[in-house]
Amino acid sequence: MPSTPDNAGYMIAAYVITVVVYVGYTISLWRRARLMLRSEDD
Amino acid sequence: MNSELASARRIIRLGFALTAIALIAVAGVYVRALMYTPIEVRQGAAQKIFYVHAPAAWAALMAFSLVGIVSALYLWLKDPRLDLFAASSAEVGLAFSVVMLTTGPIWGKPVWGTWWTWDARLTLTLMIFLLFLGYLTLRAALSDPSERARFSAVVGILGLVLVPFIHLSVYLFRTLHPAPILLKPSKPSLPDTMLATLLYALATFTLLYIGFVTTRYGLARAVAAQSGREGTDA
Repeated sequence: MPSTPDNAGYMIAAYVITVVVYVGYTISLWRRARLMLRSEDD
Repeated sequence: MNSELASARRIIRLGFALTAIALIAVAGVYVRALMYTPIEVRQGAAQKIFYVHAPAAWAALMAFSLVGIVSALYLWLKDPRLDLFAASSAEVGLAFSVVMLTTGPIWGKPVWGTWWTWDARLTLTLMIFLLFLGYLTLRAALSDPSERARFSAVVGILGLVLVPFIHLSVYLFRTLHPAPILLKPSKPSLPDTMLATLLYALATFTLLYIGFVTTRYGLARAVAAQSGREGTDA
């Protein structure tokens, strides 16, 4: 029976990229909302 | 403050609340996938990439499908809010596509032995990503709101046409990509623990899509209200 390959590094890379994209996009939306609301208040 | 701006603010607040809940749920997906889901014997830990890759692909294709459907409705009803929603869904779809197109090759390298192959599924997926990148570029290039809405609606509908080809490409062409596990006529081909994790991840990424698109749509509505012209892009 073949042994299970040791490739956890790929999994960690994929999970890190996923969270970076989602949190990054959330920050991008938050910054745009803040800028828009600030210009609205001015 | 006019009522349109107040309404946009409420939409943005709702969007951020949903996004926050969804991001906490994404953390739950990580805990469940990493700690409570077994490692697949032949593929090793890299198989767990599936729990972020497949739901991201689902969310991206759902987002692009909605762009096409809402764009068709815009051409019929001429309601500028439909155009703003289509633009919002396209941008959010691209965010999910980035995850789909990066985690796929990261899984492919240890399992297939290559980062990328130009087979039908992968090539069509890259094409839809580039098409919606073009969609947003087109919107940025056109200044007249009604012209922008009409032209981009046509591109959005073309994107919708690609979606069924992407789903069926694993049946229509010889491809390295695995066949669907859930969206197929027979029973899901996955052990119960893995299936539960996948279903939880699908629900979470769907909620994240709803949170993102609600926020982005609220922003688009706010910018349109600020400029005093419905249909002006955010």
